Amino acid sequence: MSLAARNAFIALGITIALVATVAYAVNYLNRARIAELSTIEDQLSIDTLSLDTQFTLLEGAPCDSVASSTTLTDKLADMGNRLSFAESQLGSDTPQVIRLKQQYSLLEIRDYLINKKVSVACGTKPVTVLYFYSNAAECDDCDKAGYALSYLHDTYPALRVYSFDYNLELGALQTLIAVEKVKNTLPAFVINGKNYYGFTSLVDLEKQFPKGALATSTPTP
Amino acid sequence: MLYAMSPELLAYPFLFIATFFESFILVTLLSAPARKARERPSVDTADLATLPSVAIIVPCWNEAATVGATCNSLLALDYPKEKLEIILINDGSTDATPKIMTHLAKHPQVRIIHKKNGGKHTALNAGIAATEAEFIGCLDADSFVEPDALKEIIPSFTDARVAAVTAAMSVHRPANILQHMQNAEYIFGITLRHSIATVNGLYVTPGPFSFYRHTVVRELGGFRYGNQTEDMEMALRIQQAGYYIENAPHARVYTSAPSTLPRLVKQRTRWTSGFLRNVLGEYRGLIGNRRHGALGILMLPTALLSIGSGLLLFFLMLYQFTDRALEALAVRAGIPLSYSLLPHGSFDWFYFPASFYFLLGSATLLAMFALIAIGKRISKTPGDLKTGVLAYTLLYIFIVPLWLLRSTTDVAFGIRRNWR
Repeated sequence: MSLAARNAFIALGITIALVATVAYAVNYLNRARIAELSTIEDQLSIDTLSLDTQFTLLEGAPCDSVASSTTLTDKLADMGNRLSFAESQLGSDTPQVIRLKQQYSLLEIRDYLINKKVSVACGTKPVTVLYFYSNAAECDDCDKAGYALSYLHDTYPALRVYSFDYNLELGALQTLIAVEKVKNTLPAFVINGKNYYGFTSLVDLEKQFPKGALATSTPTP
Repeated sequence: MLYAMSPELLAYPFLFIATFFESFILVTLLSAPARKARERPSVDTADLATLPSVAIIVPCWNEAATVGATCNSLLALDYPKEKLEIILINDGSTDATPKIMTHLAKHPQVRIIHKKNGGKHTALNAGIAATEAEFIGCLDADSFVEPDALKEIIPSFTDARVAAVTAAMSVHRPANILQHMQNAEYIFGITLRHSIATVNGLYVTPGPFSFYRHTVVRELGGFRYGNQTEDMEMALRIQQAGYYIENAPHARVYTSAPSTLPRLVKQRTRWTSGFLRNVLGEYRGLIGNRRHGALGILMLPTALLSIGSGLLLFFLMLYQFTDRALEALAVRAGIPLSYSLLPHGSFDWFYFPASFYFLLGSATLLAMFALIAIGKRISKTPGDLKTGVLAYTLLYIFIVPLWLLRSTTDVAFGIRRNWR
């Protein structure tokens, strides 16, 4: 065998080994991401259940729990960002992603319900947005709407935004959609109980918020 | 179902080939013949009786600015005067070149030949016809050599089948970012040339300080026009005739690199279109030819593929960039710039974009850095390479498509351009 042929075979072996290592590393990182998401979700699940139980034990919403419920919502938002990134990396039809999205949506619904209880019991008036999107091609404006809501949430941290994949197969989510009477015209928003469909601009979206609602939230500098 | 594929998938085969090629270069560098070539001692100039005679031809066409310094660097070569002649060819210059040559003629080693302008290959042939030296060297009139360069070249001719030997080229005093970028590229080339020569896969004997066995050049009929790449055409003819092309990695030569983008694009368009015309024309038979070993099976197909992949990756990158930029603009429309222009998210390992494309691309890039460092170390080329490597990494990919596009369209439509 000539020197060139021998070296070519060795180089091919190295290349295959390198490609396999890279493939393993990508897979390993993706699995680590999923594992981290699972861990965060487990923790959030415990926190949510704890808060829920606290309310039940006290037969009402203790108003000094407002801070802990806000922290929980923030953690949930961070979890949402991570899940969204994992979805973009792994694909939205990956079974683990779908399972995590189902768990996440369930946590969001519970958080939404807890916050509703807190606002009733303590007389707070939070601005809450239920945002329904779809990853499918028919929702051209979902990315724009999602970005605009991220902007509003980052600018007004008191604003509570819950995002849901409209087509996700989850009984509780479908019940929420039915209860809130959300039509399959996406993007869809439920802003403090009032339904709004489509996204044209940030200005138009802001008009849907109760007068002065955003102004009374705490804007970041 | 191509439309359903991610555009990135198109890049994977080329990324695989690039990784394979770099691995091949590294493995060959570590092989015994390459190590032996690096350890080859320079020729002993004290033994006059066995020392071969050498003629170095410097073809000049309007080279008044540099020919004096080029000739002086040749006069400073550590080689016995009686064994070395320097032949300056004035190829019909219209500037002060003839006047400077007259001044240089006072050195007994220097011979001057004036002729009508006929192109570089005719100038080289005029020099070859005027000498009986055993080995013939060529040096572009804008290049400069280290004093020990010739002593490093000669031992590579020990094997009678070696018809040509190339040197280790880098850029002479890089001044701007473009020249620094080319310097890194040239030093990368030192490693590639040294490794590829080990398996006799070289298909170009560059103008700066390549040497030829006189008998072979005569046998092959001297230099030809070669589609404005007479050095490449000669190398391909040498390979076709079954001879070897060697490399002397310690023989340092410094060449002037284009200082502006239009000049660089013009130079590289000439090189690339010359390569395509020669290889796809007269030397088509070498491609894939097992008789020509690494050159036929690996080097020429890879070189052709690199032109195709360079263009494909450029269009892919352009498409992805445009697509993502338009998408990002659409998503950010109407959002205050103070928010939309700033990055959002946290520096967390979780968000590390560890895609297959990113990781394999990074590995290829790291291997390239290693090969550049090896080239600098092997040749002992002086100077700092940080700026060059940075420019090569960040700029080259955007500049290459300019001459790839131009040269491929020139070849496709039969467009011929002037040398300068």
